[in-house]
Amino acid sequence: MPTLKRSLAKIPTKQHHDTPTMFTRYSALLAVVAAVATPALAPAADPFADTVENANKKLVKVFGAGGFSRLNNYGTGILISSDGHILTVASQLLDTSELVVHMYDGQRLKAQVIVTEPLLDVALIKIRLDGKKIDEDNGLNLEKGKGYFDFDAAVKRGPAAPGDWVLAMTNTFEIALRDEPLSVQRGVVSAYTKMAGRRGIFEFPYSGDVYVVDAITNNPGAAGGALLDKKGELLGIIGRELKNSLTETWMNYAIPIVGKTEFKEKVTVKDKDGKDVEEEKTSTVSVPEFVTLALQGKYKQKKREEFIGQGGYHGIIFVPNILERTPAYVEDVAPGSPADKAGLRPDDLVSFIDGEPIISIKALDEYMKKHTRPGMKVRFEVRRGEALQTVEVELGQHPPKPKLPLPPPPKP
Amino acid sequence: MTRLLAPTLASAVLVAALVVPAAPAAPIEVDKAVLDAQSQRIATIKKVHPAIVAVCMQGGQGVGSGVIIDPEGYALTNFHVVQPTGPLMQAGLADGKLYDAVVCGIDKVGDVALIRLLPKEKGKPFPFVALGDSDKVRAGDWSLAMGNPFSLAMDFTPTVTYGLVSGVNRYQPPEGKGLLEYTDCIQIETSINPGNSGGPLFNMQGELIGINGRGSFEKRGRVNSGVGYAISINQIKNFMGHLRAGIDSDHATLGAAVGSANEDSQLPPVVVKQILDESDAFRRGIADGDQLLVFAGRDVGSTNNYKNALGIYPREWRVPLTVRRKNERKEFLVRLMGNMDKEKPPVPGGPPPKGPAPVPVPVPKGGGGENAKMYQAKPGYSNWYFNVLERDKLLTAFKKHGDFSTVPGVWVIEGAYKMPDREGALKIDVVEAKDTAKVTLKMNIETTLEPLTQNDRALQKMPLGSGGLMMAMYHYHRFLTLGEKGFEGGFAHGGNEPFYPYPADGSVPKSLASLRVDCAVILTKHGSVNCRWYFSLKDSTLLGFETYVAKDSKDADEADPCEVSFYDYKDVDGRKVPGRIEVRHSDKRYAVLTPTKWTLNK
Repeated sequence: MPTLKRSLAKIPTKQHHDTPTMFTRYSALLAVVAAVATPALAPAADPFADTVENANKKLVKVFGAGGFSRLNNYGTGILISSDGHILTVASQLLDTSELVVHMYDGQRLKAQVIVTEPLLDVALIKIRLDGKKIDEDNGLNLEKGKGYFDFDAAVKRGPAAPGDWVLAMTNTFEIALRDEPLSVQRGVVSAYTKMAGRRGIFEFPYSGDVYVVDAITNNPGAAGGALLDKKGELLGIIGRELKNSLTETWMNYAIPIVGKTEFKEKVTVKDKDGKDVEEEKTSTVSVPEFVTLALQGKYKQKKREEFIGQGGYHGIIFVPNILERTPAYVEDVAPGSPADKAGLRPDDLVSFIDGEPIISIKALDEYMKKHTRPGMKVRFEVRRGEALQTVEVELGQHPPKPKLPLPPPPKP
Repeated sequence: MTRLLAPTLASAVLVAALVVPAAPAAPIEVDKAVLDAQSQRIATIKKVHPAIVAVCMQGGQGVGSGVIIDPEGYALTNFHVVQPTGPLMQAGLADGKLYDAVVCGIDKVGDVALIRLLPKEKGKPFPFVALGDSDKVRAGDWSLAMGNPFSLAMDFTPTVTYGLVSGVNRYQPPEGKGLLEYTDCIQIETSINPGNSGGPLFNMQGELIGINGRGSFEKRGRVNSGVGYAISINQIKNFMGHLRAGIDSDHATLGAAVGSANEDSQLPPVVVKQILDESDAFRRGIADGDQLLVFAGRDVGSTNNYKNALGIYPREWRVPLTVRRKNERKEFLVRLMGNMDKEKPPVPGGPPPKGPAPVPVPVPKGGGGENAKMYQAKPGYSNWYFNVLERDKLLTAFKKHGDFSTVPGVWVIEGAYKMPDREGALKIDVVEAKDTAKVTLKMNIETTLEPLTQNDRALQKMPLGSGGLMMAMYHYHRFLTLGEKGFEGGFAHGGNEPFYPYPADGSVPKSLASLRVDCAVILTKHGSVNCRWYFSLKDSTLLGFETYVAKDSKDADEADPCEVSFYDYKDVDGRKVPGRIEVRHSDKRYAVLTPTKWTLNK
């Protein structure tokens, strides 16, 4: 600690004498940083009690599928229409016909999924009264702004900026039941960014825009809760529990109301010879688009580009796979293959790919098929002797397989 | 799912030093409100700082936190913090000094302990904090948590964290064996970690609103995960009399299961189910199927509402509750039952049921300083020393209203009586000599009781319908003239309790709840008869007492006490005596006595 103190004390002096220009620039930068970080617009004396009480009336506790293997059967939802449409996260919670919500006043009501969009990781559900069809008038008649959030206004307001104060309201840890109010936390937006969902680090379907927040918001049951500005206006939907397996840290994020994500879809186009060919096209889907169409019952789930087929090609030849769990020992590498180029050697044991533990040859094959494709760079961690080595492999196309003679067709 | 926040003794702590470049003083425009809030916050922290306690084992190993609440050095902490220390511990303050301390009262179910620090110089007052009103705290309010997380500060300088109240009136179920149940607690995002246990939660005025004690963690390990809980100070206030009196306190049950009529319905009523015959609730007339509307002043909308409303009270407190039966609304005054000694069904797969929870305070090991002299073990008490201290303090204050020890002989009380169906002249004779005792009561009809020889309960309950008025007068005489010497079966401070005297003018009260007067209680036992004596907290006046001829009887009429309330005190030869006495039994007024002449020591 003493050395640290000394070095801290030295910085200004040194800059002052040796590099005056640097000093100016430096302080200007600091001033900017400080201005962003200082909640100058939010008097720190304001308690949020009224804001919280009002927002609580526009949120519900959601109960559905789960309750086993660390999957909780409770979550949170955001009311966005007068007849009880609820925006929430597209989690396993919704995989049930027995979806139930608890309103702020303690009413226990049934709900039904309208549509989900895994690309955005959001879902729209709706309160359904017993004996009524989902599209029949359920008589809820919630009041805009008081009984539900004005979604369009939230879209118009636009995103919050890093440094802005936020409140999170969720049913974290299922603390609230019936008429008990949701839990509130506060923090600032740390970043508005894209989910850096490198597969293997985050096993996650969503790779679009997120608010990263500095409060510990994403606990069990918090998913589907509301991220609000300090006035209680809707900014985003609190996401799931997400752990970075590389750093062992938990991420606290929300999907912005104005958030969007890109996805690849296959489209059929004519090539220059007028022949139909499939082409990959990058499209965008946004939360506003989803909500607007879903509220009208018109939203169709996007077709996702799944990595299908053999995945990327590495060129490793493994030891004979004779056991159920044969460890992924490298027997040899195909000359000139990605593995060869990356410097993998016989007797290396592949232990992790992109941070995911690889327990067997079978697991490695499955991982490659599911999560990789040609052209992708993946990080292999291999045990070589006593040390763990990290090797980056740029996967290639599978070489054409030699045609095997077809077996004779079965006799009728 | 929730865990307690005592540090494991060997908790390894990684302190990450963040290198922050020292900013040259660039002028930044900051909103005045922000600066004001900041300076207020700093002032608040400075104000409460000296009263924050680091609770330590003898020798200085940190086990938790605490906070001093009065100049004599009484400090609140968690029960689970003093569990490992035993009755004698040490306590570090922000002045860097380690003080000897001793456990006073404990509340195992509520996870609260009161300890007392000993000053370095005799009589030197301690810095302390004021108690706030936790019922006024709302979700979204700012709060400050202070304490010694991870036992970080070797010099006991408290750590402060700042954040929002995330929720109030939270219910967190018990942690094993029915203990450490957090009812009506305050949920905070204000960071609390192992070692913060027992430390204070403040509002921004620096008033104590809670005692931090546990958090929800689950996957993220036993460090702050954004969800911590503090025991509300208003709950602790209900137990304060017990804690100061060194009582091993217990929480309460109604003596009936209470829950939603139908978990699946839209808005189910909360109803009484499976009421126990031996409960006071049953004797007062509450029945299965009654809808519980209000419990001790709180609307009961859900099962958790009810658990929160109930969980803040000590056993044997009387609380008003309102039920609906068919279309009728009815208010009852019910004495609550104990919680801990109730047989709990064994948890399937759990450990085999053990006897009563072991008293966590083993006999202190040899040595120890002044604090060892302030510890006395006794079953039912966490420290009998403090019971004697509080009891004698109360009796000394009561003696200011008159010393009756000098008039131990025959008492004659004369005046008038009024009953629902008759009225007339009153004469009570209480004779107490070495081997004889006799009470004669004359209310037109003359009845007598010889309490030492007549063991028949029916006789002891005479006159009929009073619950034992003559027995009560015998004990009254005995209590005033003999004090502790007269009660071989027990003579203890019983903590604080509400007392509900009916209006002095004899009118019908608009609600039973409105009658409440907070009192200190003395519990006595002589022969098989138990009494509870209620002294006003304000000026130690004896407001009334209850005489239980057969406290544990299965018979409702026998189990109900004779309730006596005193009004209109006046001076007779330098002693204060009541000018009006109301006698009640089983929710009915038996008689109102208006003595006009007191002849003491005839």
